[in-house]
Amino acid sequence: MLALEIKNLNKKYEHFELKDVSFQLEKGYIMGFIGANGAGKTTTIKSILNLIHVDSGEIHILGKNMATHELELKQEIGSAFGDINFYTRSKIKKLTNVIKAFYHNWDDQTYAKYVKKFNLIEDKKIAELSTGMRVKYSLALALSHGAKLLILDEPTSGLDPVARDNLLDTFQELVKDGEISILFSTHITSDLEKCADYITYIHNGQIINSSEKEEFIDTYRLLNGSNDQLDLVKDQLISYKTNSFGFTGLIHTKDFDPSWGVKSTVPNLEEIMIYFSKKEEKYV
Amino acid sequence: MYNLLIKELKIGVSPFFYILPFLTGALMLIPGWLYFLVILYFCFITVPNMLGGYKSQNDLMFTSVLPVTKADIVKSKVAFFVILELLHIVIAAIFGFISIRLYPDLTYLFYSPTLGFWGLCFVMLAIFNIILIPMYFKTAYKYGAATIASTTAAILFAGSAELLGIQNSYVYDLFKGTGAHNLIVQLSLLVAGVAIFAILTIIAYHIAKKRFLKVEV
Repeated sequence: MLALEIKNLNKKYEHFELKDVSFQLEKGYIMGFIGANGAGKTTTIKSILNLIHVDSGEIHILGKNMATHELELKQEIGSAFGDINFYTRSKIKKLTNVIKAFYHNWDDQTYAKYVKKFNLIEDKKIAELSTGMRVKYSLALALSHGAKLLILDEPTSGLDPVARDNLLDTFQELVKDGEISILFSTHITSDLEKCADYITYIHNGQIINSSEKEEFIDTYRLLNGSNDQLDLVKDQLISYKTNSFGFTGLIHTKDFDPSWGVKSTVPNLEEIMIYFSKKEEKYV
Repeated sequence: MYNLLIKELKIGVSPFFYILPFLTGALMLIPGWLYFLVILYFCFITVPNMLGGYKSQNDLMFTSVLPVTKADIVKSKVAFFVILELLHIVIAAIFGFISIRLYPDLTYLFYSPTLGFWGLCFVMLAIFNIILIPMYFKTAYKYGAATIASTTAAILFAGSAELLGIQNSYVYDLFKGTGAHNLIVQLSLLVAGVAIFAILTIIAYHIAKKRFLKVEV
């Protein structure tokens, strides 16, 4: 079963456009949604949550159309926005009391369990929580109302490496039983190497690739060679950088011919992102 | 809708704004003052603070991710406005009742706190609402122009009403002359004011709802 399915999403702004965004997330998995700042991650997430009006396209969550089942589905979605804070001067206790009334399946015991597990102090104000703790508070809320799909916008940005690792471990624990699915956007690629099952890469409002992590990385090769070799392969490369020793460039694995004799390695996600954004610059 | 209203009451404004009506209401004890000002303080103080609070606390985003309809978001906010407005008027009216008994022989230049005067206050807030609410929900976060326009309109209404009360013999008679001691006249003025308040606020809600459905968070 699909936890999330996005079909041909289009949204045009004056200076930015989401173009034909489609991808899907299987139930019980973690999908990392990567892209540079301004690539369209938050716009896509806002579209999923029906916070903005899309020009065209469909969003299905847990098999139901978001446009027609919004209220019902919002009961099953938990969301967190890493960089936006709400009611920071209110105490956790007060905010929870307000929020829980909206959810039919709210479970006080589950909430108490997560408050304890995440070491949340209910008498603290939101402003007094660290960034990591705020995300955990959002998670505690989502899990207490039985959310099946967690949509998290940049939950790890602004976290120190220890807090980040800790949060990623929590994500993995949550999906273990196969009931909960997580879509989280980030520009920190090492997060995904640690915990994502699937990766969707958005660039300039378009989905470049959305697939299982290993397959995603395997789609590309990083080539290292001399300047002479560059002329041979230049046209096949997505983009490249040159230095005094030669060049480094990214290529689709299917376009790579081992007979060229150019040294190839498997790139990491960061390299894939960097070379794709370089491709754009080339045409400017 | 009920949950949203509870949310507004609990975290929508600082508890200070529930005490403010008592502070402004006490101004009714100033003998022969321009009593429209007592209610206008709601427009001057509470509204910009409240809307500024929504903006700084990212209320729009907070509320939009909850499982609620956009129409209910508008309805609850309008209901919250009305509750605060009623609080201001009712508390001021209680102080007004005391004021009249405190200074029985006072000659009022401006309106004295009669039932008819409270009817005028309802009309003033009706005008305030019909301008503020639709303008605010165009974006649901920009509140500068909406508060300036609606407060100006309310002040203009209050000023014109006071002027008419002084210059126009019919209005004078109705509110300050023989009509002031006629309970039926006074009650009718109050009921008419409440009716205008209700109608304009409901219209404001419908326009605001239509506009808010187009708002992107």
